[in-house]
This record gives sequence, structure tokens and C-alpha cells, in this order.
Amino acid sequence: MRKMKKKLSENILEKFSMDFLRNQVLKNAYGNDDTVIAGLDPRVLIGWYLFFGLVPWFANDLYFLLGSFILVMVTTILAHVAGLVLFLFALGVFSQTGYLFLVTLVFGGDASAIVPLLILTLKVATISLASVTVFSGLDPDKLSNGLMWYGCPERLSFSISYAYRMLPMLMEEFQNVLLSYRLRGNPPARDTFGGKVRYLIYEIKIIMESFYPLMLNTAKRSRTTVEALELRGYRYAATNKAVKKIKLSHLKVTSNDLLFLAVSFLWVVLSILCSTLF
Amino acid sequence: MNAVEIQNLTYTYPGASQPTLKNISLEITKGDFLAVVGNNGCGKSTLCKVINGLIPHFITGDFQGEVRVDGQNTLDSQVGDLARKVGYVYQDFENQIVRPTVLDDASYACLNYAYPDYLERGKTALRQCGLEGHDAEYIWQLSGGQTHLLALAGAVSLQPDVLILDEPIAQLDPMHADRIYEVLRELNQKYGKTIVVIEHHTEYIADYCKHVLLMKDGEAQWLLPTREALQHVEELEACNIFPPQVTQAAHRLQKEGVLPRDEALPTTVEEGRKTFGKLTYMPQPAEGYKGNDREATAVSFRDVSLAYRSVKGEPRTIFDGLNLDIREGERVALIGSNGAGKSTLMKLMVGLLKPQSGTVSLFGKNVSDKKPEEISRQISLVYQNPEEMFIKDSIRGDISYAMKVRGVPQWEARTDALLERFRLRELQHRDGRLMSGGQMRRASLAVGVALEPGILLLDEPTANLDIATRREILGVLEDMKDIIKTAVIATHDMQLVCQWAERIIVLSGGKVVADGSRDEIFSQTRLTQLVGIRPPEIFTMAQALNPQALCYTIDAFTRAFQEAKTCVR
Repeated sequence: MRKMKKKLSENILEKFSMDFLRNQVLKNAYGNDDTVIAGLDPRVLIGWYLFFGLVPWFANDLYFLLGSFILVMVTTILAHVAGLVLFLFALGVFSQTGYLFLVTLVFGGDASAIVPLLILTLKVATISLASVTVFSGLDPDKLSNGLMWYGCPERLSFSISYAYRMLPMLMEEFQNVLLSYRLRGNPPARDTFGGKVRYLIYEIKIIMESFYPLMLNTAKRSRTTVEALELRGYRYAATNKAVKKIKLSHLKVTSNDLLFLAVSFLWVVLSILCSTLF
Repeated sequence: MNAVEIQNLTYTYPGASQPTLKNISLEITKGDFLAVVGNNGCGKSTLCKVINGLIPHFITGDFQGEVRVDGQNTLDSQVGDLARKVGYVYQDFENQIVRPTVLDDASYACLNYAYPDYLERGKTALRQCGLEGHDAEYIWQLSGGQTHLLALAGAVSLQPDVLILDEPIAQLDPMHADRIYEVLRELNQKYGKTIVVIEHHTEYIADYCKHVLLMKDGEAQWLLPTREALQHVEELEACNIFPPQVTQAAHRLQKEGVLPRDEALPTTVEEGRKTFGKLTYMPQPAEGYKGNDREATAVSFRDVSLAYRSVKGEPRTIFDGLNLDIREGERVALIGSNGAGKSTLMKLMVGLLKPQSGTVSLFGKNVSDKKPEEISRQISLVYQNPEEMFIKDSIRGDISYAMKVRGVPQWEARTDALLERFRLRELQHRDGRLMSGGQMRRASLAVGVALEPGILLLDEPTANLDIATRREILGVLEDMKDIIKTAVIATHDMQLVCQWAERIIVLSGGKVVADGSRDEIFSQTRLTQLVGIRPPEIFTMAQALNPQALCYTIDAFTRAFQEAKTCVR
């Protein structure tokens, strides 16, 4: 039993290694390009998001919110969002509202606080899941093309796809630096409780100290990238209207997009209908 | 017609006191395949950046003289325009890839320059570089060699007349290296591109290049046809460029008076057949690998399996039931093609990776049960990229770090001794990242041996290095024999393997496919073909002359092949 417990705790620690994080980032960005959501036109999806990302803030109707929540939950499932993102979402939403509920109870509230809290939770959850669907279901390039169509500056859309290029690299460097510390450092033993605390402090210190080599190594690597971008005409493209036109010429609204919009619309109408009936 | 003309070029980097390029004048003809050789830090890369206009347009500094590409002065044109005339592939080529998928990256430049048919152009470039059928793949699915071809395709897509490659095969195994050079040859011959490579693998120069430019201290010494250039054995050696082993052997035999002095030196195995054909092979005493069953087992792998997570689909299996023992006192070379699992094997030994099943043990005790402190006293790993070992802001800090945090007695004095031994005293307060390749390698080695581990693992210690630094590394291993009892080197450098290793382990597809002395490994032609390894050129030369001859070094070759009359005596 103790062995199993040890194994379990080790596993959880292992899971959150840099390697895992890096893998999840890549998976999130590019690992789901064959899903229904990824096949949609980014402009349609962004328009869809404008509705589900904004309207729930102003609606207080339980049926409508519940309906929207179910809808975005389905789209999130369709988008095959990476596990880590969902975990962070769940942690964020429920820790926030759970904490509010606890505070209510402590300060003399009772169970009647549940309904307003549920509404708040639904609002936050719907908006978050809609964001997760759009930003994680689409690959960064499609997303940036969509944003560009809506008139966002080229630099923003480039930054998005470049960030996805850099992030794994940054994490890889970070992992390397941490490994160097692990090989050469001398962490305190963590058998006792005091040792565990000291170990935690040590880890935090190492992470802070890793910052310097991390930045320098990444800077050294990106020097080549910057020069290569220059050679490959990045700056040239930023000022050329024709490039934008070529990039956007691939966007096409298909019957799938219309179907997606129609289903979403019908579902929302249905949920509003429910709220007027009951 | 000249592709590139340079006249009286002198260039100084901003803030530098000495010019990096001094009064260079040269012409590169259209359709040439030129190799640029020279010491580490002699200005080769700078010269190439001058040709594509990065200097002085992107990197400023003091620029005098004139550079013309395709008749056009680089000072009067923009980097963007020059990029369509000159393609450039960096030494750290993975950093020049900016897009997630293969076709995307290959066509990226064409898109930026607003060619409506950019995808077609990208596809053409991929075809020219032998990456057909990989269009939709993600870049992290590619092997090292394929990534390099992709970087090349990205440059080729604009169909420039001139292509410049900075050390294209430094990190590749022989099969991948051949592939790159075959592609370059095709680009040169079929598509008429002018190709400039910075290269110190002279065997490849002899096989593929038409001309050689020797640079020394920022000056162009000479530009000669390859065969003629490689005859300048002593001059090249003075610049730490070693001519092909065949040439070196012939040169030595000429000096010993075995071969006539007026004859031209051979540069390839083919030419060597003629030159050495007159000599007789004198059988040498065989030197078998004795194997040392008596010594204790240092590292042992039992049924080790390991797979990496992949972004999509099934995890990638690296090892599946691997069994291996390394005994104390052995000098082991770990060879195999790119991606065979050499680095992974090393990371398992130091406990940076844990096997999914099976055990890795150090001196009979499971690595995962050991404290990091205990592991680091017994075994140490020097990474392939020295930069990854630098975690402090000076190399002095880096070398002393492990000793300091462990409270090793007299760590300061020991740091001084290490700095002295690795000739780093003058540089001790500099950041490791800002040093030259050879200096970085020395510093990373000093970091690796600081705790005096009994086992030292070196991952590709000689990649990107000139021969002098390689000798130095071997010298250090020899000097520290008493402390570092066991050493394992993972490498593609077969000259190093043959010079140094007692035992060679060949990895392929996550399995040990061969394990033994160099005779046992290299005499199996089928094996060497199967796993993409190649014996050093001198070995191939000796085999071509006499199938019985097993010569791994130039010394052995010159001993074994002598004039007929000495043999009779």
C-alpha cells in the first residue's frame, strides 16, 4: 500500500514535468487538426465566439445559460482539447466559485446562495469553454488568418503563430537548465516534513535562478531565427497588401460552417423558448 | 561569368577592435561548388553573411570594399532582393524553421515575397531537396537530416542562383550526410546552382566540391581546384584542417621515401588505388578485444523499455527490452544513426530519464533508488550542446557550482586547477555562451569532470570541432585515466571511434545490434550498411587494396603498406 502511494505521488510529479507541459502545448496547438471544429472557417468560428464570449455576461436566465453551457461543452468535446487545458479550466472555475460559496457560508449565508452562484459559474464556464473551443480547437495559423480578416494587424497574427513556435523551444531550454541543476545541484533530503518544506524552497529558488540561463540561451537561439526571418522576407510581407490577400484567399465558408451556425442558433432559440415556457 | 565578386573587402564587427575580414578579394564562378575551410573563428561565417547582404544591412559595423552578387553591388540592394539571389542555411538550422508544417515552411519565403503560386514553388523546392511526400508532416516529426533538408528547401524555394550552407553535416550520421551532399550535387549539376559550403570534413570536399577556399585570420589565403588544394597538406594542417586520410597517408609515405615525391597525392579512395597499388601489404599482428570479465559491472540495463510521448497518435518507442552491461575500465563508443537512441541511453544512465519498465543500475544499485548526490559522484554526462551546461554567469561559477553546493573541501583550489588544466584561466569570468565552439567544449568538459566521477559520458564531443580540439579532448581523457575509469562516447566520428575505443556498441532501432572490438564491427560489411555507419576512410582504403588489411589509423596504414623490396628482405 505504501509502495503504491509512493508510486502514485511520484507519478503525479512526473506528469508535470516540462516534457509533459511541452507536449501538451504542442498537442493543444497542432494535435487536433482533424476535428470538426478545426475544419470550420476561422471567421465563422470567431463570429460564433463573439456571441458566446459576450452575451452570457449580460444574460441572467438560467435556461439560456444552461443551454449555452451544454452547447459549448459539446463543441469543446468535438475540438479534442488537450487534457491539461481542461484541467486548468476546471480548477480555475470551480476553485473560484467554490471559494465564493465557502465565504458565503462562513459569513452567515445558507444554501439559497447556490442558485446565484450557479448562474455565475455557468457564465464563467460558458465563456471559458467557448474560448477554449476557438483558441485551442483551431490551429494557430487558421486563428491568425481569421483575426487578420477581421482587420487585426499582421504583427498580432504573426505573434500568435510565432509564440507557438517559440513556446516549445522555451520549455525545452527550461527543461535543459532544470536538468543541469538536477545533475549538479544538491537538493536537501525530503524525508521529513521540514525537509519537504526546505526542498520546496530549494525548488523555487532553482526556478528563479534558471531564469538567467534560460533567457540567454533562448536569445542566442532566436538570433538565428531573427536573421532567418529577415532573409525569408518577413518584414517585406508585413508591408505588402498582396501577401495578405494571398493568405486570406484560402478562407472559405462551406456547408459545414453553415450547419454549425444553424445548429447553434436553433439550440439557443430552443433554450430561450424553454425559459419562456417554464 | 562570376556569381560573386568581392574586392578589397575589410569588415569589422561593431565594437570589435580587430577586423574580422581583412582585405579579401575573390571571385566565385557561376556553377561552382566551393568549399570554404579554415580554423574555428577565422571569419568563414562572416564572409558568407557578407555575400547575402546580412552584413552590412542587418548587422552593421565597419564595411569597406565592394561585394557584387550577380553583378549587383550588395550595398545598393536590399536584403530582401538579395535573398532571392543568395540562399543561406545556418549551422543551427533548426532555428531558421519558423512554420509548423513542412510545406508551410518551404513556401514561407515565397508567400512573403507575394508569389501567387507560392505553394507550387514550395513543392518544387521540396522535390529538389528530396523531401517529396512529406508535405503535410509537422516539423517535429522529421529526423535531423530531414530537418536540414527542409531548411535547405526553404532557401531553395526562392530559386536563388547561389546557395550557402554553414557546416551542413556537422551533426549528421554518414548516411544522412551523404544524402545532403547528393542533394547539393544535384542542385549544382542539374539546376545549375552555385554552391558554397563551409566544411571541414575534407573527405566530403574531395568527393563533391570543385574548388576550395582557405581562410586564415580573416584573410583569403588561396582559392584552388579541390585536387590541387588538398595537396597543400602542411599548410592545411597548420590551420587545423586535416586533408582526407588517404592524402595524409600518401603524404607521410612520401616523406618516408616509400612513395616518390614528385607524384600528386591521392584525395579519394579511387585515386588511392593507383597510388598505393604498387605497395605490398605486410600482415600485422592481430589485436583482439580481450574483454574484461574480471572487472565489476559499472552500468547495467535489464529489459529496459522507454517510449516518448508524441503529439499525435502512439508514443514513439525508443527501447524495447534493452539489455546491456558496461564494465569498469572500459572505453566504449556508442554509435548508430541519428535517432537510434544514443542520447536517450546516456540520459537513462544518469537518471535524467526513467525507464517505463526494466531497471538501469549503477554498480549494482538501481539508479532511481539513488540520491542525485550519489549519482553525480559516480557518473557524469557532458551534453551535446555545451550551452545547456552553463547555468551561471561565468564559467568559473559553472565549474565550481557542483563542488560548492556539495561542500567539497578546497573547492576553490580545485576550480583553479581545472581552469588551468583546460586552458580557461583567462576566460574564467566570461559567460560560457559567449565563447567560441572549442572553448565552450573545453568548459563543458571541465564542468563534467569537476566532481571526479568514475564514469564519464560524452555526447557527440567532437561535433562542430576542428581536429586540434578533438585531440585535446582525447588528451584529457588519457590524462584523467586514474579518476575517470570508464568512459562512454556517443559519436558519428568514426576516426575518433577507431583511435580511442576498445569496445564499440552499435545501436539501431532501439536494440544493440552489434557489440565488440573494431575488427568485429567493421569487418562485417553487411552490418555497417544496415545501420548506416561507416568505417574511417583509411580503413576503406586498406580494404580496397587488400581485404585482409584492417587499418584504422594512418599510423597503422603506413606501417602495413610498404615497398615490395622491404617486404622481401
